[in-house]
Amino acid sequence: MVFDLRRCIGCNACVVACKQENSLPDGVFFTRTLSQEYGVFPNVNRVYIPTLCNHCEDAPCQKVCPSGATYTRDDGIVMVDGEKCIGCNSCAVACPYDQRSVMTKESFEDGLYADGNLTPFEEQGYTRFTPGTVTKCDFCSERVDAGLDPACVATCPTDARIFGDLDDPQSKARQLIDERGGKPPLPEKNTKPKVFYVS
Amino acid sequence: MASAQPAIVGDSFAVGYRFQRYWGTSMASAFFCGELGAGLFLVSLYYSVNAGMILGLVVTAVLKTYFHTSHMGVPAKSWRAILRPDRAWVSRGLIMIVLFTGFGVLHVVTGAYGLFEMGSSATLDIIKIVAALAAVGVMAYHGFAMSDSTAISLWDSRLMPLVSVGYALLGGAVVTAVLAGPTQAGDVSQTAVSLPSLGLVLVLLNAGLVSALLYGAYHGSPGARISAEMLFKGVFARQFVPLVFVLGLALPFALLLWAPGSFFVELAVAIAALIGYYAFRVFILRAGVYEPIMNFAPPE
Repeated sequence: MVFDLRRCIGCNACVVACKQENSLPDGVFFTRTLSQEYGVFPNVNRVYIPTLCNHCEDAPCQKVCPSGATYTRDDGIVMVDGEKCIGCNSCAVACPYDQRSVMTKESFEDGLYADGNLTPFEEQGYTRFTPGTVTKCDFCSERVDAGLDPACVATCPTDARIFGDLDDPQSKARQLIDERGGKPPLPEKNTKPKVFYVS
Repeated sequence: MASAQPAIVGDSFAVGYRFQRYWGTSMASAFFCGELGAGLFLVSLYYSVNAGMILGLVVTAVLKTYFHTSHMGVPAKSWRAILRPDRAWVSRGLIMIVLFTGFGVLHVVTGAYGLFEMGSSATLDIIKIVAALAAVGVMAYHGFAMSDSTAISLWDSRLMPLVSVGYALLGGAVVTAVLAGPTQAGDVSQTAVSLPSLGLVLVLLNAGLVSALLYGAYHGSPGARISAEMLFKGVFARQFVPLVFVLGLALPFALLLWAPGSFFVELAVAIAALIGYYAFRVFILRAGVYEPIMNFAPPE
């Protein structure tokens, strides 16, 4: 995936789409749009930096997982098997991008309205999670398997998120990286992320 | 508005440093109990203090297990943590704990108390050696598990396993000194080093290791520097410095110099050193931060 920082307007439509697609409980985000302000008045800038799991080729979360719950699919998407996860949080402290989410039991019990009652949407959506485990963005793998873009990409009104095969020189994502010098986040961590930023 | 460098931003949607919040007090307690129990067993094994070996096994097998399971999201599946020793230090550590507990109990039952016949003296020696090596493994693996998490720059140090072993031995030495009593603790006839002298050396060793760890962090990456600053002069300094350095290291050093071998002094040394040790474990977890994913602010 490629994030075009020139295009991101910080509307957070991707964040909402992700929460809706994945039925995420209160306080859990698989993607965030961070903002940073810098400069000195009157020359002040604000930049929006979308973030999600970088599906690293050398994923530190997978390396430290003691139960084998974290694994990488053939297409490079890093997944978590909720049935195998023991909730030790080793992956969460190993991820340099802080992109792991702990699904506490309370987040499923309180409900989105924090009154102990679950809406029909929550009752249906929460069945995909195992309380107590750690989970994360999986690039909407079910949508990808069906030939669709991840929900955040499909929703983005400015085309700031570009999803594609980085190994395919004809893909728009690869071409953007090559043309505009795509940079991975925190390259010094040597995780070989599969998410790049162009600005 | 100034050209501000990223600050600690909590869970907000802003670029900055974020505290790790996934390993908390229960994990710190589990690390503390694991290291203390293994260190206590090892030192007691060397000085032939049976009560120390038993207590060390109980602290590791019972208390460490309790704190780990209370930390885990799905404790019923905790057995799965043993499945990936090829890559995960948590798995390797669990194997060490199983070996340590099994062979430690065997040694106490057969070698120390001679309750059962286990064959030749060579067999007893093998049991003792495996128990001792597994104890070293338990002492060290917490440090490896932390330094393996390169995401938290404060922990990403090769000194971390040494600090784990150093504190484990210090905790083991000061508790063994109390359990052994004043006569045995001051008796240098049976061993090369008396327990008070060992405690003194270990206090100095740990002071050096902790100082080196924090010095390295302060002069390391920006995230590690921020963590070190929080421990020395930031939000944690008012607890970290008095508890870890003054109570945990300086006071035991002074007491061991002043009146080594006295039971009450050894007791005070043990209490002070263990409080400092536990505080170190808690604050080194709490001070860990993730680096900002990107930084557009020009250098100051």
